[in-house]
Formats: sequence, C-alpha cells, structure tokens
Amino acid sequence: MIQKSTTLTIDGAEVAFTEGETLYEVAQRARRPIPTLCYDPRLEPFGSCRLCVVQVEGVRNPVASCTTPAAAGMVVHTSTEAIEHHRTTLLELVVSENRQVDVDPLRGYASQELTTLVDRYQARTGRFAGAQSGTSHSEDDNPFILRDYDLCISCNRCVRVCAEREGDYAIAAGGRGFQKQITTEFDSILKDSSCTFCGQCVQTCPTGALADKKALRAADIEEPIEKTRSVCPYCGVGCAVDLMTKGEQLVGIQPAMDGPANEGALCVKGQFAFDFVQHRDRLKQPLVRGVDGQLHETDWDTALDRAAEGFRQVADKHGRHAIYGVASGRTPSEADYCMQKFIRRGYGTHYIDNCSRA
Amino acid sequence: MALAYRLLHMLKPNQTEASTAELIAHWQEKPAPLLGLLHALHDRDGYLSDESLRAVSEGLPIPLADLYATVTFYHHFARTPPGQRAPRVCTGPICSQRGARDVLHALDDAREMPCAGRCDHPSPVLVGQQVFTAASDATLTPIPSPLPPINPSAYEECLFAHIRDAGRHTMAGYRASGGYRGLEKALQKTPGDLLALLEESRLAGRGGAGFPTGQKWRAVSEATGSPKFVVCNADEGEPGCFKDRALLDHDLHALIEGMILAAYATGATSGFIYLRYEYPETLDRLETALEEARSDGLLGRQIGGKDFHFDLCIRRGAGAYICGEEGSLLNSLEGKHPYPRNRPPFPVTHGFNDCPTAVNNVETLAAVGPIVARGAEWYRNLGLGENAGTKLISLSGDVRRPGNYEVPLGLPLQTLLNDWAGGPLPGRQIQAVTMAGLSGGFLAEKDLEVTLDDPSIRACGSFLGAGGIMVFDDRRDMVDVAAQAMHFFADESCGKCFPCRIGTQRLSERLSGTDGPSAWTDWQSEVEDIGSAMASTSACGLGVAAPHITQSLLKYFPSQIQRHLANQQDLP
Repeated sequence: MIQKSTTLTIDGAEVAFTEGETLYEVAQRARRPIPTLCYDPRLEPFGSCRLCVVQVEGVRNPVASCTTPAAAGMVVHTSTEAIEHHRTTLLELVVSENRQVDVDPLRGYASQELTTLVDRYQARTGRFAGAQSGTSHSEDDNPFILRDYDLCISCNRCVRVCAEREGDYAIAAGGRGFQKQITTEFDSILKDSSCTFCGQCVQTCPTGALADKKALRAADIEEPIEKTRSVCPYCGVGCAVDLMTKGEQLVGIQPAMDGPANEGALCVKGQFAFDFVQHRDRLKQPLVRGVDGQLHETDWDTALDRAAEGFRQVADKHGRHAIYGVASGRTPSEADYCMQKFIRRGYGTHYIDNCSRA
Repeated sequence: MALAYRLLHMLKPNQTEASTAELIAHWQEKPAPLLGLLHALHDRDGYLSDESLRAVSEGLPIPLADLYATVTFYHHFARTPPGQRAPRVCTGPICSQRGARDVLHALDDAREMPCAGRCDHPSPVLVGQQVFTAASDATLTPIPSPLPPINPSAYEECLFAHIRDAGRHTMAGYRASGGYRGLEKALQKTPGDLLALLEESRLAGRGGAGFPTGQKWRAVSEATGSPKFVVCNADEGEPGCFKDRALLDHDLHALIEGMILAAYATGATSGFIYLRYEYPETLDRLETALEEARSDGLLGRQIGGKDFHFDLCIRRGAGAYICGEEGSLLNSLEGKHPYPRNRPPFPVTHGFNDCPTAVNNVETLAAVGPIVARGAEWYRNLGLGENAGTKLISLSGDVRRPGNYEVPLGLPLQTLLNDWAGGPLPGRQIQAVTMAGLSGGFLAEKDLEVTLDDPSIRACGSFLGAGGIMVFDDRRDMVDVAAQAMHFFADESCGKCFPCRIGTQRLSERLSGTDGPSAWTDWQSEVEDIGSAMASTSACGLGVAAPHITQSLLKYFPSQIQRHLANQQDLP
C-alpha cells in the first residue's frame, strides 16, 4: 500500500509527513527539539506531561504534539514565548512535588531525563512549594527493582511498558489526583504480583523512581560508567545489551533501545543475572574429586583425562546415546559451538541441547 | 450516636443474595459489564472484598492490578465494612454552609461526599441505596427529589412545561400531556429530516460544551463504523448542578424519547444511560420507565413497525466527577481506567468500544421530543434576541427561592436572581455568584449584569456551562469559598495530566493557606502562572476550567485575599 504523503509547516519550515504520524514525530524528524517526560517512542502516546504542547494556528489552546495527528496544511509553532513559559511552570511544578531531582545514572537508562530538562529550563527556582507526592515501597525487599516512589512524577511510562511491551499488567495507577500512586494488585510487593522482574519499568522511568538495585550496589565506586554493546547470551532471541562497567567491574546491564531484536526489552535473566561473571565462587582452576570425596585443584591434563575416562566408560557400557550434553546459557556462543561439536563429533549422538532453548 | 445503625432498619433489604459466580455469569453476557457487576457485589456485601475482585478479574477477564487500581479511583466503592452502609454526607459548597459538617460529625462512621445534587434542599445524606435529608440536629428524613418551582414568568417553557403534572413520570402521565408525539411524528419521516430539523432548531449541548446537537448526530450518522451507540451523560457531578436530577426523576420519559430519537437520527442500535451514583432512587424510576417503554414497543425490535431496532440500559457511576467528561465516561463504561481520552479521534467516530457514538447530556436529549413535536422555529424563538431555545439553571445558595428554573437564553441574570428567585435573603446583598457550577468561577460587581447566554458570560471570562449558579451573599468569605472549590477540583482531578494533578493541589494549598508564599506579589505571581499553565495545557476541561476560580477571585476580591495573607503572617 502506498502511504499518502503531504506537508505541514513547523516553525516556518515546510515538512512532509506520512498519514498517521503525530506532530511530535514530525517535529522530531524536522529536528525541532520538543521536551517531554511521558513519551517513549515504543509506547502508545499518552499525553500526561503536557510539556510537548505546541501552538497550532487556528486552534485556541496549545495541543499535545505527542497525541495530535499531523494534518495537511497545519501551521505549527513548537516554542513560542507563551509555550516556553508554560513549560517552565510545568517543570517548576514537577520539581516542587519531587523530593530529589538529581539521581545516580545507575538507576536506569532514562533516569536522567528529568534532571536534563529541569536544567535546560532552569526550573530549580523553589517556586510552588507544597506537599510532595508518592510514597516509596521500602518494604519491598526484592533484589532487583527499587520502588522509590518518592521520586515518582506519575507519567505512567512504567504502567504502559508493563502492559504494552511486556504484557504482564503487573502494575497500575491507583487512586487519583495528587494522591495517585503506582500500585500492584492489592498494593502488594512485586513478588506477590504478576511482575516478572523484566526491568523494563526501571529502564523507562524518567526520574529514577524505579531503579536497578543491583547496579546501585556500585554507586560508591568512583570511576565513570562505561557502556559496551553486547548480545545477551541467555537465549536465542539475541537481545542487544549495554554492559555497564566501572573500571574493571561489571556493574550492571541496560537493554539497548536500538537493539533490533529487543527494542529495549530484556527478561529477568538478561537484565539482572550477571553476577556470575565476576563471582568469587567462579572456577578458575579445574577440580577433580579425590578418594576422600572432596574436590581438589589439579592441572588441565589430569582433569581432562579423568573426564574422558568417565565418558568413555559410559559410552562403552551403554552406547553412544547414553551421553547427553546440555550447554550453559552463561557461556559465550563460541563455547556453545565447541560443546555441540564435541558431543556430535566426539560421541556420534545428537543428544545436545542448551538451557537457552527454553 | 448510634443513629447510623438505627438507620439500617429503615433501609431497603439487599437486593440480592446471589453468589459471586452467579453474578459474574449474569453480567459477563451483558454490554459494559464491569460497573454493573461491581455494583452488584458492592450492594450485596457493602464493600468489595479481595475475593470478589479476584473472581471478577478472572471472570470478565481484566488484569487484577488494573481492576484494583480502577476500584480505588471511585470514591463510592468501599473496600472494607461498613462501606456502603455507612452514611455519606454531602459537603458541597452549599451544604457545608448549611451545617453539613455538624451532620458529618454527629453520624457514626460518616464520610464526606462531594456535592450530591440536592442544593435546592440541603443537606443530602446517602445511606445504602437511599437519599435522606439531614436536619440541623442530624435527624434524617427520606425526602423526595424536589420539583422545580412553578414557572415564575410569562416565558414559555420547553423542558419544564409539563414536569409538574401529576403522574408525568409514568407512561400514562407522559402520554397524557403529549409525550411520545414527537417520536411518532419523526417516525413518519426519514432520519435525514430529523437531522435537518435539529440543525434548524439550533439546539446545542446543554451539558456545558454547547456543541450543536444536529451536527453531532449527523457526524455519527455519516460515520462508517458499526454498531452505533447513543450514550446519555447523566453523571451530573458539577457542584451546584441538579437540573438533570429533576428531569430524571420527574420527566424521565422525555429523556427516553430523546434517546430513541437520537437512535433514529444516527442509526444507533443500543444506548446507555450513565447515571451518577448519588441518585439511587432515580435508578429505580428509570428501570421502571424503560420497562414501560419496552412493553409499549418503544424500545426493542421494529419500533413503530419500522425496520428500526433500539434498546438501552443503565449503568451507574461510582463516584467520580471526571466521569462526566465524555472520554472518561466512555472509558468507565468500557471498564477501563476512567481517564479522559486524547482527542482526536472524537466519540462521533470512535466512541463506545471505538464505535460511532453520540454522547449527549440529559437536558439536551429531553429537549428533542418537544422540538420535533412543535417545530424548530418554535424552539428557536424561545430564546431572547439572537439566542435559540432555553437553558435549565440550577440556582442555589443565598437566595430566597433556590431551585431549578428554565430560562430563555439571553435572560438577564438579575431577573433570575431578583424577580424569579426572590432576591437575596432579608438584609443581605449578593456578593458573588458562580457560573457553570464551580467550573466558571465567580461573577461579581458589574459582571452580575450579564445575560444568561455564552457570548455575554464569556465576555466576562467565564461560561454558562451546565447551568449551575450558586449565590453567595455579603456574609461569605470568598477566599474560603474558593478554597473549598479548589479542594473539590484537587480531589476530583483524575491525576493523568501534570498541570491539573499538581496545579489543583498547589492552588488548593495557596487558597487554604497551608502552603505557598505569604507575600502578596509572590502569591499572585504563583497563582497566575499555575492557572495560566493549567488553562492552556491541561488535557481536559477539568484542568482548563478549575483556574477560573482563582482568576475570578483575583479579579473581584484581591483585598479579601490580602486580608487572608495578612492573617497568616500574624500567626505565630
């Protein structure tokens, strides 16, 4: 189907658009920077923060660009003096309800969005003092997700990503008005809800109210965060990840928003299960069991001889199909390749699998 | 003090002892099942237990977290006993001046509820499924919903012309004074003829938005989706508005006739009446009237012997002002979280279940029968000057004869206040009135010379809206009145958009003096900036309208604000 293309005017420039695009999307393409806090390009537009309002000629009030479909001939102004003033007021209001604006970037992928905008609009004025919103769930002692709702600004991105991307519907916005609070069924802790701890809510949160508890363990390490693009080894999907390191220490994992297979999604394993990489219990030497029943360090030749002898005895006694290899999802792909070669070529059986196949 | 419990004996017995499974089986086959099912469980138990919610979540199905969050949104859904059986006392702007807070303290387990639409006879107390009127000593009497006062003028009425006739609420009474003649006449002609007639009459949305009704119905009729729906917005939640209540209680066949006509004009096959929770007796009356209409062949298959099929059902709200906003109302009907919807698309193409839907106010729909029966020109000429038709005004507060009045659009406000309603109480002067319930803020001083039509009122920075006018005489502290009004908006803000969620809270704090600057210029600058951001960027009418309160307070009563600020500074 050929999509109809037509034009509108943004800040004086004529821009082509495709039917179905929103004003925000068109403005993005036209490199007009429009501020927003509730927008996540992967989610249905919601229209809660109202920072993205633009003036459309002939329309009395500004419209939210994220929810307004582009229409032919529209004349749009993205940053009039009045609109910039409203944006500053809105950000000052958000600062006034929030207990903390600056947060550690280890909290999550989008955690710096509020800070960045507040600084851009110089909104730390101390105006609009009053009650603060949100109540943290400090009793939720799950090891992965910090629920620091003291910093929540009710943008609903977490609720929407949970429903629209993960399909868990584990969280929802309870109550209303200033008392609105992100909650679960019966306000339970996450363990007792339908949460699967995929962490997507953490990574889309623009204030760090939802935060990566495991990454925050490294908050006191002085070195800067470095990110290295990689692919999660746990299963066959191939989710792109950014490994976060401080010096030599792997401190956390963030999903790559531009990962073609995952678009910012991960599961609990890919997101949080990385401690094994530098775990103190990790084997650095081969071990063999002695006559005393205990494991003892040895050299590779001894260990390989012992293993080969054991496998050969099984194959001789019970046949080649008595051997079944299961490769680990925690090993690199190259090791998985060697493993299947070893089982197929070495023993002549196809009984080879990988725990990532699940 | 055991008054609340003694009251229980006066109440109707619970309507059902059905099991949860039976109720779920009954409702899951019905359109828009969630609210109906939740009410059935709530009425049975008095509250919504965890077990009930788990069963509903599985039965409909709906994710449990969503269901839980949505239940917490509605203030009449209780989660613990005594819940629904506890008295709920109206502490709206008028009732709280008539001793409602004393009643609240005198009744065991009593809770506050926002304006419950009895400002013409304060103060209503809801216990179980019955509305009582509280006397100053907190004794409660069940008093029927008041009729409008006798027409005090020589102007002809449209909506109230027969409302005071005995038995008008029954099918026989309604037909006796010409009811359903408009429908009979319309069915002789095409839907296109009806649309043309409506457009010619210049009838416009009487819920407050003022959108031309004929144009709305034509858009639904021309929309491509199907099936099509007609939804009556009977969620009259605006404080100081109780005019729909009068029609719903005393002239309900006029509404049903209007809805059938809407269906005929638009091609709709089903309809809903979304009724506010605070009118429980109205629910019973409506159910009876619908049955009467069904047995007369006015609802159901082949209405009037034509290939025209339409039926309608009632769904009750559960206590949320925002559900009077049409997007929220549709989300609420669909069982979704009742946030307003982003527009476009509009309900005329994407309404209930994303199908073309005409959403109209009770008053708008009730006017259609008489318009068809008597002609577009007759209706248009009821208005004064350039204005077409009439408007119901709910007048309350400090006047001698509060009540519902049907005014010709364009009538001077002073005529209504002084000639029709008897003017201020003895020895008093009118200081200010509200417009659009609370949503239009205050009018005072020379602006009290407006005429009751939108061009005149908008020129003063306000709007007529749904037609609630509350009167405050010279005894009243307008800053206190404004603080209560903003407290209402803050309580009822849905919490979706930032300007309204935070703005109503901040304005409320500044008006009540619990927070914010005490220096006048800082106070003024903060309140003006918040109000302007809310009015320009809020996602729906609540947030856009709420700052009318502060803007009009600043316009007419700066010295009262300064006095409040000075008193705050004097506090230790």
